[in-house]
Amino acid sequence: MSDNPLIPLPPAAEEDLVRRLQARDESAMTLFYDRYSAALYGVIFRIVKAEDEAEDVLQEALVKIWNAFASYDPNKGRLFTWVLNICRNLSIDKIRSRQHRVGSKTTGLDDSLTAQRQAAPTAFRPEHIGLQEITQKLIPEQRQIIDMLYFEGFTQSEVAEELNIPLGTVKTRARTAIKVLSKLIR
Amino acid sequence: MENIQDYIESGILEQYALGELSAAEQAAVEAQAASHPEIRAELEQVQAALGFYAEAHAITPPAAMRERVLNNVLAQISGPAATSSLRADVDAVAQTASRPVASAPQPVAANEAVVRPLSAAPVEVPASRSGWAIAASVALLLSLGGNMLLYSNWKSASSELVALQNEQARFATTSQVVEKKLGALQQENQVLRNDEFRAVALAGTKTAPTAHARVLFNPATHKVYVDVRSLPVLPADKQYQLWALDKGKPIDAGVLTVATATGEGLQHMKDIASAQTFAMTVEPAGGSAGPTLSTMTVVGNI
Repeated sequence: MSDNPLIPLPPAAEEDLVRRLQARDESAMTLFYDRYSAALYGVIFRIVKAEDEAEDVLQEALVKIWNAFASYDPNKGRLFTWVLNICRNLSIDKIRSRQHRVGSKTTGLDDSLTAQRQAAPTAFRPEHIGLQEITQKLIPEQRQIIDMLYFEGFTQSEVAEELNIPLGTVKTRARTAIKVLSKLIR
Repeated sequence: MENIQDYIESGILEQYALGELSAAEQAAVEAQAASHPEIRAELEQVQAALGFYAEAHAITPPAAMRERVLNNVLAQISGPAATSSLRADVDAVAQTASRPVASAPQPVAANEAVVRPLSAAPVEVPASRSGWAIAASVALLLSLGGNMLLYSNWKSASSELVALQNEQARFATTSQVVEKKLGALQQENQVLRNDEFRAVALAGTKTAPTAHARVLFNPATHKVYVDVRSLPVLPADKQYQLWALDKGKPIDAGVLTVATATGEGLQHMKDIASAQTFAMTVEPAGGSAGPTLSTMTVVGNI
């Protein structure tokens, strides 16, 4: 798995970074930025869909990662997973607070969904080999569900409601999609 | 747990990885993962799959963002400690600056030391009034002077910090370049130490008798590397091109970069299935479909 160019960091290098962050080595943040900023910025940008806000969220996330580092437990999972979740949560909070300002929650969700469907083609970058492979292997229904769950902050039941399909179908599609993705890693 | 497979198929691990669960539910999943290796493996797979999906959507942020974000982050994470110690310094200096002259009983801060004598003045004997005023003015001046000094120290400290941060950023870039070079060298070393590679010496022809190069050819994997010892320098619009001759038929093995032609290191060329001879000719930049035999510079048989 370590020779896959899409996996950002070999475990040994990740361990070294974790040790330095645990030792409160501020210079490790530069290294962290160089290693992870593209992946994190990509996810944040897909969720908030505005460059200036994505930059704010990335900055906020880096400060949070530094301040909350004591709560990261390497035994529970990889550093990359942990920081991805922090970035996703901050981004989703951001769009939720934005929707809150605009109006009631339901119309906010509807708006964001249509916005997402329109935004998808421009955000799609076929030159990225990993993404191209994914679009070939995932059927559109699976990709839509994964995008809603991962980039829109929907829960599985919210997806079921939004797309008007049974919850069981959402679960099956999400599981199948994730299976397809994990096969692509190998 | 009666049935691990049911648990896995319930979709709860996906919910966990997507962050849909409450803190209590999360803790329950973590406990299951800790006691059942199968569940843990499945969870890791789900997380890796989502990480892969995220990574596939990577966007390199604008270059200008790096310094902006890193400077802000570093200022914030080292900020609180630096400010509070600075505040303590200011207080300490203000205290020592005002103490000898004003000799106020509790000069907690410069302002207090200045204000107290003035407001206390009317109660005092009129004659000492001007004495207090002078003392207060001197205290104020000293305190202002102290503040100026601190301010200029602080300014130069913060510009030094920015300079250091820039230097650090440059250092990080340099070390990346070095890492990349090291990677290339390791790869070269692997080729050089691999017994499967056959070294083919290419000697200079009449046009360039001192020219000398080597080709490393692996007949099993068809990999070809070229290693230049000495070749005449070419004008900018010309490039050396390597050819493999298989039963007399020339096959293009690619053109040499300027770095390779000046002997900087090995260059990985096009794969060649079979060859008995390698040769290099001078061709227009970008290479030619067939060799210009009159420009043949080096040649050698396997």
